[in-house]
Amino acid sequence: MAANFWTSSHYKQLLDTEEVDVVHPLDKERGMTLEDFKLIKLHMANYIARLAQNVKVRQRVVATAITYMRRVYVRRSMTEYDPRLVAPTCLYLASKAEESTVQARLLVFYIKKLYSDEKYRFEIKEILEMEMKILEALNYYLVVFHPYRALSQLLQDAGMNDATQPTWGLVNDTYKMDLILIHPPHLIALACIYIASVQKDKENTAWFEELRVDMNVVKNIAMEILDFYDSHKLITDDRVNAAMNKLAR
Amino acid sequence: MSEAVVDRYEKREVLGEGTYGVVFKAIDRKTGQTVAIKKIRLGKQKEGVNFTALREIKLLKELKDPNIIELIDAYPNKGNLHLVFEFMETDLEAVIRDRNIFLSPADIKSYIQMTLKGLAFCHRKWVLHRDMKPNNLLIGPNGQLKLADFGLARLFGSPDRRFTHQVFARWYRAPELLFGAKQYGPGVDVWAAACIFAELLLRRPFLQGNSDIDQLGKIFAAFGTPKSLQWPDMVYLPDYVEYQHVPGQPLRTLFPMASDDCLDLLSKMFTYDPKSRISAQQALEHRYFTSIPPPTEPASLPRPPPKRESVNSRVSDFNPQDGPTVLSPPRKLRRVMPQREGFDINAQLTDTMDDHGNEIRQTAGERSGQAPMSLDFSVFGMRPPSRPTINSADRSHLKRKLDLEFQLPEEE
Repeated sequence: MAANFWTSSHYKQLLDTEEVDVVHPLDKERGMTLEDFKLIKLHMANYIARLAQNVKVRQRVVATAITYMRRVYVRRSMTEYDPRLVAPTCLYLASKAEESTVQARLLVFYIKKLYSDEKYRFEIKEILEMEMKILEALNYYLVVFHPYRALSQLLQDAGMNDATQPTWGLVNDTYKMDLILIHPPHLIALACIYIASVQKDKENTAWFEELRVDMNVVKNIAMEILDFYDSHKLITDDRVNAAMNKLAR
Repeated sequence: MSEAVVDRYEKREVLGEGTYGVVFKAIDRKTGQTVAIKKIRLGKQKEGVNFTALREIKLLKELKDPNIIELIDAYPNKGNLHLVFEFMETDLEAVIRDRNIFLSPADIKSYIQMTLKGLAFCHRKWVLHRDMKPNNLLIGPNGQLKLADFGLARLFGSPDRRFTHQVFARWYRAPELLFGAKQYGPGVDVWAAACIFAELLLRRPFLQGNSDIDQLGKIFAAFGTPKSLQWPDMVYLPDYVEYQHVPGQPLRTLFPMASDDCLDLLSKMFTYDPKSRISAQQALEHRYFTSIPPPTEPASLPRPPPKRESVNSRVSDFNPQDGPTVLSPPRKLRRVMPQREGFDINAQLTDTMDDHGNEIRQTAGERSGQAPMSLDFSVFGMRPPSRPTINSADRSHLKRKLDLEFQLPEEE
């Protein structure tokens, strides 16, 4: 698939950061800040990943689900589309779209297991209704490209197969941010390789220069990822809860 | 918001019952365009949007090409998902079957060219269609042929992904699938396109096996049992069994009317080893398409007259004795073909169709001797046997394989 990213709907839908970092007016009314907005999306990305671990799906499904969730909130408000319902529904829809269906009742079962909080509890029926609304919010575009494939090819090409583990982890972490909505996946992969190279003191400037990509973009993505790691240390449960509490239900 | 979308389409008559819902004709009030709307039944309300429908949406949203059916819009209404497609008048199966239509070599070239163009586009986008057959090739008001029904289609990006081999209606299934291959590529679609090509030439399905084993028998009777030199990987396929050696027929005998270029392309599409089989793109570059006669302009292609009930995607004539999965236009008697040298076919056909039907089944058993199907022009007089589609066993297999890959064993 990777070969056709440039003609895909994913490519055509890539956004600027300014377009992604917009708090919906309805959410603003509830006092939600951009900071809260990002925190909730991060929290939901983690929720999807945890849920996915329980129902046992491939990382690709997790990545697609998180991308769906992030795309939904480019267009819709959290006030109208409760993230606690949107997140598992995105996982449900992504599992179908990625050809490894998870049953809705299984999701409901694990949601109950993970969260005792009433606000996270949803019936199968609610998930199925939300599925339709998410499809609409996504404008029925379901194919998503991810950095993973580019990553393994690039690592091999760079002779960095030993860095597969850490870079793979880095790529996973990029889904805690909105990068997948903004940058082509192979550039995200390159940014992760760049970080790993710097970390390991591996000199492969020549390799990067031979690639026909804009290294400035790659470096900027890498900086964004590193900034995120810095700010991530400051995120506490209290801050997440405070943000979530602005979403009265 | 969805209310507005609903109002946009003025519902007309029901066109038919598809595999996962009703299809009706409608007029787009905004554009005046005639469209076909598929209403996806949400079934037992247990697993949300139908998996097959979702696949079709996912892929058709990415595939925009003159030779691929256009998914214009989608909207929910009263809990059902509605898919809006461009309206298509008929399909290739109806063309092949219409006894009043004469297909010139230029017409055939045009139809198969459009088929291959649609297919090459899919393959460029890493999509396998996996259900190529004449009634999934729809024909629009301007004669454009378009691939439809992507309910079985898949992205084949990762080379190591294993797929189910239970795809395609049997008559269009490539030999590697019949031998149980799980890792296969675009070659399976090319084989099916070759079967459609042959069907255009013969005006009847070419290899009409009545079981998977019989299908291989039919293939071998036509082209000869493959030697290991021809197809080295064959013996490693999961369901490989050794077949008694049969020599096969010269293509010239099987298709007496076809030109040399035509036969050359056909033989390249019918290559046993999927690795050496011609690709859809290479097929389009074959000299057959540049040699005379040039392909007929789509608008001038012979088509069945548009009827009251038009045939559209997913629309079946719902033939109860065949079960609802047989998606075919209304039954028609086969056309008695124009005289061909060596085959006096006009004579005694229509009266003895049942006998011929039996004959076919009998000859099918013995797979040595002359290729029974391919030379048996007597079928032209009889009712066509019901076309196999993905049968229910295959379907449940598919379901298990694809829908429930990650389902935990739980009780209902």
